Amino acid sequence: MTTYTVYKEQLPGLFEKWSKLYALHVPARLREGFYDLVPWKKDLEIAWDYDVAYNSAKRFVMPPHEALITYDRRTCEAKPVFDAPKQILFGVHPYDVKALNQLDQIMEAGSPDQNYIRRREATVVMVFEPLTVSSSAFWASVGASSVAHGFDLYWTKIGPAAFTVEVGSVRGEELLGMNGPLLASTAGDKEGARRAKARVLAKARKNALRYNWEETPRLLAKCWDSPLWRRYSQMCLACGSCNLVCPTCYCFDIREESDDQLETGVRSREWDGCMLEGFAKVAGNHNFRPKAQDRYRHRYFRKGKYIYDKIGELGCVGCGRCVRACTAGIANPLKVFNELWEETAHEY
Amino acid sequence: MAKPKIAFFDFAGCEGDQLQIANLEERLLDILGHVEVVSFREVVTGHSDDYDVAFVEGSITRPEDEIRLKEIRKNAKVLVALGACAAIGGINCLKNFMAENVYREEVYGGSARWFPTYAARPLKSVVKVDAEVPGCPIDPVEFARITKELLQGRAPWIPDFPVCVECKQAGNVCRYEMGKMCLGIITRAGCKAACVTEGAHCWGCRGLVPGANLDAARIVMDRAGSDRKATQDLLRFFLGDTGAAL
Ligand code: SF4
Ligand code: SF4
Ligand code: SF4
Ligand code: SF4
Repeated sequence: MTTYTVYKEQLPGLFEKWSKLYALHVPARLREGFYDLVPWKKDLEIAWDYDVAYNSAKRFVMPPHEALITYDRRTCEAKPVFDAPKQILFGVHPYDVKALNQLDQIMEAGSPDQNYIRRREATVVMVFEPLTVSSSAFWASVGASSVAHGFDLYWTKIGPAAFTVEVGSVRGEELLGMNGPLLASTAGDKEGARRAKARVLAKARKNALRYNWEETPRLLAKCWDSPLWRRYSQMCLACGSCNLVCPTCYCFDIREESDDQLETGVRSREWDGCMLEGFAKVAGNHNFRPKAQDRYRHRYFRKGKYIYDKIGELGCVGCGRCVRACTAGIANPLKVFNELWEETAHEY
Repeated sequence: MAKPKIAFFDFAGCEGDQLQIANLEERLLDILGHVEVVSFREVVTGHSDDYDVAFVEGSITRPEDEIRLKEIRKNAKVLVALGACAAIGGINCLKNFMAENVYREEVYGGSARWFPTYAARPLKSVVKVDAEVPGCPIDPVEFARITKELLQGRAPWIPDFPVCVECKQAGNVCRYEMGKMCLGIITRAGCKAACVTEGAHCWGCRGLVPGANLDAARIVMDRAGSDRKATQDLLRFFLGDTGAAL
């Protein structure tokens, strides 16, 4: 793919143009130590050195609340609702794009999720190679430090005011070229990008699994009865924060509400999570996972085994969000997997 | 089919929840179009004892309240607790932690001895409650939805998960990550984490979520640097009728 070199001074002009065609979101500082993608406005300072976006990119393709159909009880008709705003996510880190790519696979499998697919298609993803690493992140050790697809442009900062931009799609190249001809990157610039990646990888490797991530499903298969599940889950508040902040968690619940005339209504979905006590409750009040321990274990099995069994990747991209979000301090795939590894080490 | 008859009643409380309902304005007219309101002080005059659904606001704080509430229960097919005071006892229960002479003096002054009261309690301590619209004050949008569900013969739904879920949906930065306290970890959701979104923290006004892990919550608050007294004060504010406050 083509790679161009772009200078910082070109950005305001490009952002201006893009924001007229798309809802443009860029990384910015919320408060000391907290960053997120926020709507771009003129003169907003971009947080190039952000460590992790407080909220994952999932909300852009699968919002917390989303109408799916409207119905009319008088005519017994239902119509699908498709809402897919054109948006640019500028500055998403590779592990979060990896998570989007994983959602793509899950949502397209079986009966394709049309609402998701339409939103994803309307979303331009511009990756940004991180400069810093969140203290709770471990993406470098779960195979999530780079992505080869699923983005339109891939930005790497190679100097105080220069970037290389790798093209991932025709749409991306067109957007980049909106303000005139582009400068192809020199071999030196490309080398600069390679070095930038190596620098951040060295930082990211500080938090790492003690084994190759591909061993995780086999590790878990041995650990169903581990005492660890009970030990940690005693502190679980069943608050679902670990699920909801996770860029790869996609579970939702369905609700219906009538209008005030009780004639028409909307069926919608909203984020749900397997750590909530009522998640696995079915008719007759039977609960498949009534105990905190069952739910806690289930989440790690989802992350480390069930998703892997489906698509050959971990269901965790190592962003570290759940680690920070868990007020009880027990949501931590890195720690849990490493401790299980230690527990079973004698068996290898 | 005859329209169901509904009535509103209040005990110890501020009638703020009925006011919230009155604030629905045009929406209220639409929803009330499906029913016949036989008693509603905030909106209509007059009263009748012939009703199907009773919305009851306020806590039970006197022996004679019990008699009246049991009467309402007998008349109503469905009894709905409206607001924190009715559903969980709410801030009325603050007095349960004070000496009786102190709060009676405070409220009734010199004539305190003419007004016998007892520990404040939610409706469910006295009669069977069929549904709850929690919150202090209630969320009128939730009231509207629950009323429609009752009208359609559906089981009225309130969230059975903690406020954190809606807080994460809203994308707020967690108060604990900012070194502050928050009761969202043990409180029933449904308010869209209103107080956190507004910049404050959750006070627990919607009551404990089913299965709340109180031991863990205390440890979380301890670790976050809240001293025992501050934690207790926070837990007593709305949750005085629950085991959380002790
Ligand atoms: S499990 Fe935790 S660390 Fe892994 S992707 Fe989800 S939020 Fe990030
Ligand atoms: S965030 Fe922590 S306390 Fe909440 S459900 Fe997840 S593991 Fe349990
Ligand atoms: S701020 Fe409160 S409600 Fe929100 S996630 Fe944190 S503890 Fe839960
Ligand atoms: S955030 Fe807490 S205190 Fe505020 S309305 Fe919701 S439940 Fe009540």
